[in-house]
Amino acid sequence: MKPAASVLLLTTLTGFGYGLLAWLALFALLGLLPASRWFMPVGVVVALGFAASGLIASMLHLGRPERAWRAFSQWRSSWLSREGVASLASFPPALGFAALWWGMGPAPVTVIVGLVAGALGLVTVYCTAMIYASLKPIRQWNNKHTAPNYMLLALFSGAMLMALLLACWTGQAGLAGLLVLLAGLLAAAAKLAYWRFIDTQKPLATLASATGLTRYGEVRPLDAPHFTENYVLREMGYQIARKHAARLRRITIATAFLLPSLLALLAGLGLVPALLIILATLLTAMGLFIERWLFFAEATHVATLYYGR
Amino acid sequence: MSKQETIEYSVPVGDSVAQTTCYMCACRCGIKVHLKDGKLRYIEGNRAHPVNRGVLCAKGSAGIMNVLSPARLRKPLKRVGERGAGEFEEIEWEEALSIITARLAKIRANDPKQFAFFTGRDQSQSLTGYFAQMFGTLNFAAHGGFCTVNMAAAGLYSVGGAFWEFGEPDWEHAKIFLLIGVAEDHDSNPIKLGLGRLKERGAKIVAINPVRTGYGAIADEFVAITPGTDGLFVLALVHCLLEEGAIDTEFLIRHTNAHYLVIDAPGTAEDGLFARDESGAPLCLDRADHQIKPASTLGADPALLGSVTLPDGRAARPAFALLAARYSDAAYAPEAVAARCGVPAATIRRLAAELAEIAFNQPVTLNVPWMDTSGRRHETMQGRPVAIHAMRGISAHSNGFQTCRAIHMLQMLLGAVDTPGSWRYKSPYPKPIPAGPAPGGKAFLENGALAGLPLGFPAGPQDLLVDDNGEALRLDRAFSWEAPLGVHGMMHMSIAEAHKQDRYPIDTLMVYMANVAWNSAMNPGEAMRMLTDKNADGSYRIPFFILADAFFSETVPYADIVLPDTTYLERYDCISLLDRPIGSAHGPADAIRIPVLKPDRDVRPFQDVLIDIAGRLKLPNFTDEDGAPLYASYADYMVRHQRKPGIGPLAGFRGADGQAIGKGEVNGDQLKRYIENGSFWRHHLPDEQLYFKHSNQAYLSTAKAMGLIDKDEPITLHLYCEILQTFRLAAQGHGAHQPPERLRARLEAVMDPLPIWYEPIEATMVNRQEYPLHALTQRPMAMYHSWGSQNAWLRQIMSENRLYMNRETAGALGIADEDWVVVESRNGALTCQARLMEGLNPNSVWTWNAIGKRSGAWTLDQKAPESERGFLLNHLISEYLPADESGHRASNSDPVTGQAAWFDLTVRVRKASAAEAGQTAPHPGTVHAPFAVHNPENLRYGAKMEAAE
Amino acid sequence: MTSLPTPDPGAKKLGLVIDLDTCVGCHACAVNCKEWNTGGHAAPLPDYDPYGKEPDGVWFNRIHSYEAGCGEASRTVNFPRSCLHCENPQCVTVCPTGASYKRVEDGIVLVDMDKCIGCKLCSWACPYGAREFDELAGVMKKCTLCIDRIYNETLPAEEREPACVATCPSRARHFGDFNDPESKVSKLVAQRGGVELMPELGYKPVNRYLPPRQAQIQTAPRERAAEGGNKLLRLLDKVLSR
Ligand SMILES: Nc1nc2c(c(=O)[nH]1)N[C@H]1C(S)=C(S)[C@@H](COP(=O)(O)OP(=O)(O)OC[C@H]3O[C@@H](n4cnc5c(=O)[nH]c(N)nc54)[C@H](O)[C@@H]3O)O[C@H]1N2
Ligand SMILES: Nc1nc2c(c(=O)[nH]1)N[C@H]1C(S)=C(S)[C@@H](COP(=O)(O)OP(=O)(O)OC[C@H]3O[C@@H](n4cnc5c(=O)[nH]c(N)nc54)[C@H](O)[C@@H]3O)O[C@H]1N2
Ligand code: SF4
Ligand code: SF4
Ligand code: SF4
Ligand code: SF4
Ligand code: SF4
Ligand SMILES: [Mo]
Repeated sequence: MKPAASVLLLTTLTGFGYGLLAWLALFALLGLLPASRWFMPVGVVVALGFAASGLIASMLHLGRPERAWRAFSQWRSSWLSREGVASLASFPPALGFAALWWGMGPAPVTVIVGLVAGALGLVTVYCTAMIYASLKPIRQWNNKHTAPNYMLLALFSGAMLMALLLACWTGQAGLAGLLVLLAGLLAAAAKLAYWRFIDTQKPLATLASATGLTRYGEVRPLDAPHFTENYVLREMGYQIARKHAARLRRITIATAFLLPSLLALLAGLGLVPALLIILATLLTAMGLFIERWLFFAEATHVATLYYGR
Repeated sequence: MSKQETIEYSVPVGDSVAQTTCYMCACRCGIKVHLKDGKLRYIEGNRAHPVNRGVLCAKGSAGIMNVLSPARLRKPLKRVGERGAGEFEEIEWEEALSIITARLAKIRANDPKQFAFFTGRDQSQSLTGYFAQMFGTLNFAAHGGFCTVNMAAAGLYSVGGAFWEFGEPDWEHAKIFLLIGVAEDHDSNPIKLGLGRLKERGAKIVAINPVRTGYGAIADEFVAITPGTDGLFVLALVHCLLEEGAIDTEFLIRHTNAHYLVIDAPGTAEDGLFARDESGAPLCLDRADHQIKPASTLGADPALLGSVTLPDGRAARPAFALLAARYSDAAYAPEAVAARCGVPAATIRRLAAELAEIAFNQPVTLNVPWMDTSGRRHETMQGRPVAIHAMRGISAHSNGFQTCRAIHMLQMLLGAVDTPGSWRYKSPYPKPIPAGPAPGGKAFLENGALAGLPLGFPAGPQDLLVDDNGEALRLDRAFSWEAPLGVHGMMHMSIAEAHKQDRYPIDTLMVYMANVAWNSAMNPGEAMRMLTDKNADGSYRIPFFILADAFFSETVPYADIVLPDTTYLERYDCISLLDRPIGSAHGPADAIRIPVLKPDRDVRPFQDVLIDIAGRLKLPNFTDEDGAPLYASYADYMVRHQRKPGIGPLAGFRGADGQAIGKGEVNGDQLKRYIENGSFWRHHLPDEQLYFKHSNQAYLSTAKAMGLIDKDEPITLHLYCEILQTFRLAAQGHGAHQPPERLRARLEAVMDPLPIWYEPIEATMVNRQEYPLHALTQRPMAMYHSWGSQNAWLRQIMSENRLYMNRETAGALGIADEDWVVVESRNGALTCQARLMEGLNPNSVWTWNAIGKRSGAWTLDQKAPESERGFLLNHLISEYLPADESGHRASNSDPVTGQAAWFDLTVRVRKASAAEAGQTAPHPGTVHAPFAVHNPENLRYGAKMEAAE
Repeated sequence: MTSLPTPDPGAKKLGLVIDLDTCVGCHACAVNCKEWNTGGHAAPLPDYDPYGKEPDGVWFNRIHSYEAGCGEASRTVNFPRSCLHCENPQCVTVCPTGASYKRVEDGIVLVDMDKCIGCKLCSWACPYGAREFDELAGVMKKCTLCIDRIYNETLPAEEREPACVATCPSRARHFGDFNDPESKVSKLVAQRGGVELMPELGYKPVNRYLPPRQAQIQTAPRERAAEGGNKLLRLLDKVLSR
């Protein structure tokens, strides 16, 4: 599948944003936030900022962005529609969460509204994941790993933002640093499990079953309908060499998870926390972008079987 | 859930519809052209049309994009720079016509043969040939010479019809169908309709072809024959049939000259000719009374074997006896030919058995009474449901004439000529053998016209167009000892011979609708060199070159004057019985093309222009006694011209009342009647005339009444070709007309009256160890020669081509799919990419024909895939064979008919180095259109129509 | 309409049968489809860089060719590919706008181009690569089963069939109602063992493909030609006793 920048941005940025929102709600619940009137609202704005820029980026990918509003209508069947609805639905409680916090501090109602917002954020991430996980023609997506992966990655990247906020605000990463370490290792494990899974998966179909010629032996393409690339090939025919992918996987594990986790640990231990967390966040952002790029680049679409790819 | 949208289904297709004839290829299907707001909306097949019955091929469906092509020429052009540089000035028609008229008038007054007129893919050869005749030049040829003339000639001299466009399988009744060397053919849609019908009926289709694609893909059996060996393969089938005695002797005696007695007197001038009585009637031996009598004697029981002593004491044998003796020889046994043909002996034996089974155990009987030419009434029509069709896989080899004769012999032995289930004649065929008068060229009328049309049918050496030394009179050497039956001329030699000037110079070469500097050049590099070559004095070797084309082809930059033609939806055309009509086995038919659109450029239909030039030159029969033009336009000519009394370009709706068919007075309303009838006319023969046309009294009388043939006598099929023997005798030194010494041996060998097989000539002159692979081309179904690439839709289907190689062969050479390779022949090298396949004879490689384009031509991007990764195999071919011992280079053609031997090419292939890869070679530079090119970045054709709703 | 409709009990199930035993791979159906549809309901079917280096465009029907098997047993198969109007098409259910829908009355899968936002998700959901994006209009397009022909009352009844079916020169394409067991398409599928493409994905395509066949001629066993021997004599016998 072609890794289009807009979609990569959408999925990574919303992960950061909604992950952060979820942690804000949880920290509020557990009373772990700095007792500042501002910290929470700023955090929510950052979270929504990430989520919103992701959503805006995804609009850029539409052929007819001016009709984007129509995408809210089919929530009964379409995960894309559900994603839109959920993300839109997350905004009022999130804003309410910030406002209540500002007005009332960590009152029960604030926390409840916050939990609703955080949950809707995670639901949005889940919907996003399900857009991919539900697509039957793409085996690398249509599996039980995709949704947990997305959730874990959101929680990890959200934790990273949380740690960043805390470190900048308080000069201490504290608990969030530990969280990053935990979520990072978990996410890395999930990612590795995912790769292991897709590497051992059987192809969905063969050219023989795609053409209904199963009884005639191996089927090979002779001539494609057209010599130059077309929409289907541009959109779905993108393929990455195994060697290349393996290297990028290593880079992903290192930059997205291991290094940031290590940095977070060090920061948690009090070593120039703000600086290290900023560095870790940048690394994570880069690593997750590569991870997401790979998520697309490694995905193959059955339709390309027709072209012998 | 939102509501399902409402769709307006009943939108009229357009606001008007015209019925005309397609010309995205030469198949001539009937089309309905829908216009909306004056623009093309949709072109569809005309369901009432006899050729395509409503279907339309890919090309026909893309007509809109040809008519809108940015490569259309816009105005007459006069060369101002060097030839080939593509520098032109736009001129007015008047200027173009006066330049041409002045030049041609001078030539006509001095030496008319210095005007050479060659026409390509047009369908107006009856007009263009007539123009040449009236001009007085024998140097006229139509495209058949590089196309399929050896098959046309072999058929016409064997069965009075031919595969090509003159015959078709009986799709409704055939039970086995051999498709030999066909990728697409001129009968594009009819063949596909026919194959579909065979499939529906469960008939067996056998594809005999080195390559399995297209039609071969749906064949029930694929015989991956080695190129150039079909003659051997067919003669081995004949061997098996003889062995089994599976021969339709009844058919042979009734319809062929199998029983004619052939004089056996080696060394004499009559050897191999038929024994005849005083009246000239060929003789046979009646087995009943052991008398020698005229072969056509009713009730005789002619012998097919044995030998007799003629009254004059000479020995004679029935023609069939010679045939049987020759092909039952072990040399023709499947086991003897299998290796050479690349076909297992068992396969040949099985196929022969299948043919015999179908022909003799499963005949088709139609309950249709009919009368033969001997006055015998038959209650039924019984036929041999073995149908065969063959095309350029046979014809594009130098042994194609004799191979095609072998196929016709096979048909005759099986009794499978124009019987139910077999191959059938398309009207106006059958014709007597030879099919028409001898070629004109030697005799002139007082008015300067040639006494006969330049193309014709020699009946013997006396009809050749040669001088006293036996050397060719024609520029292209057709009808000379080098190509005695070159009945369509040899267009592929025109530039080379005009350049060579070894006999007489040519002043003006006019080419109509052929891309002679590219895909119809046997070697484009050479063609371009010769067109630009100069004499010592700086003048061009070929002094003047006029080109009539509709598009910016590769040849345009080489012309001195370019006459821009209309596209096929902007003019009248005539698909005439005098030319290559659209008749079928069901009866004669012809058609017209009508202008559906008004040209938006300063272009004129070439036929109008030619008639205009004829008027200006005051050519006989184009002008009256006072020199005033007779015809205002081609449309006018189509209606009013009469070749013979009552016979004109169009056969339908003749006579004052429009009721006469074939023959009749001129009808001023004829075009109107055609248009009302969908722009075609057809006559559906009654059932009793549909088969056995060569001896069907009712059919022959009807055909004569319609003017299709001159006499309603039976047409005897020439199993044994006595005409060939007359040439062979000459080669042996007999008779008044003698070939040059250098050609004697070759003529003696190839002019055999019974089919023979010989190695394709080029293969005998190159080192096959060095060039082990045969190299072929195939027609792509969705492209027509070179013109498809300007078509925005068609070029998306095929903008590049590959060299297809057998998987194993390529593997042995270390070549993988899509690798760049270098292909070398005796003439040069080219670079391209390989594609591997299974369904391919291991000794062959092939590519799609005419996909490669010169950079910039057809107004495509300079870096278009057609020129970056497309290639033309022609760069490896040559119009000449390697020199013989005397240094003479003969034409690379069939020695009987002059047919260009495109497929005799042999090559070697190696993997290209990194430096060689990336772009196809040769890459002879970029050409620039002689007008401002406006290629749209995107097309949204149809968008406005949508908005208008 | 994004959710799949429950078809009415008597509803039609329209689609195509494509006969791989007869398809010669001529591309006629593809080009005629383009020609009809570029001025029809889905107009236009744009072409990008039509005279340039990378010509490309929107086509609702594309013709592949394949080779199956090896050596003697191998065969070439031409394979037209267009929308199969699946009974269980995910291209419809993933659509966030309802632009993509399956019709209640005949099962045709269509795109309402006025609603489509061009998110392309439906094309990802189609295993058959049958959806085509109009890059210039920013909306998804696809085979309409020639809805503006099959129901077009301005056309004579016999012409109310898809353009690709009407034009196919070898008559390898058939159109009809798969819910009617008496229809030509139902019968062809039954007689010739019409197959579903990629049944394992569960889309239940309506269009079916008829597999290639191989006609054979049975001949009576013949005596092997006598090695040497005077073959001509045997022939003579037969000729004389005609
Ligand atoms: N290697 C190889 N070479 C071959 C062959 C092969 O099999 N292999 N086949 C040979 C055969 S059989 C043939 S017939 C030739 C064909 O070769 P050509 O006769 O050169 O055929 P085209 O490419 O069709 O070129 C015809 C010209 O007609 C022009 N044209 C198109 N429409 C019109 C019109 O309406 N009016 C006018 N005035 N011009 C028009 C086109 O622009 C083009 O320049 O190729 C031969 N060359
Ligand atoms: N779409 C389309 N249709 C066309 C044309 C076109 O350009 N495009 N051109 C038209 C013209 S001018 C012509 S002349 C006709 C030609 O129509 P075809 O005769 O179909 O022409 P080719 O494509 O040259 O086909 C030659 C076939 O013979 C096979 N072959 C080559 N050598 C041998 C051999 O030695 N033995 C056997 N058995 N087979 C062999 C090749 O593999 C190929 O399949 O097509 C006409 N129709
Ligand atoms: S075969 Fe195709 S291009 Fe040729 S005349 Fe018929 S429809 Fe036109
Ligand atoms: S073939 Fe593809 S586009 Fe057509 S209905 Fe099925 S899933 Fe949808
Ligand atoms: S591209 Fe259009 S039709 Fe396809 S899913 Fe998106 S909105 Fe629906
Ligand atoms: S049914 Fe119509 S839209 Fe669909 S492929 Fe055929 S011609 Fe094209
Ligand atoms: S038109 Fe018919 S024969 Fe040609 S590619 Fe399409 S389905 Fe096959
Ligand atoms: Mo030709």
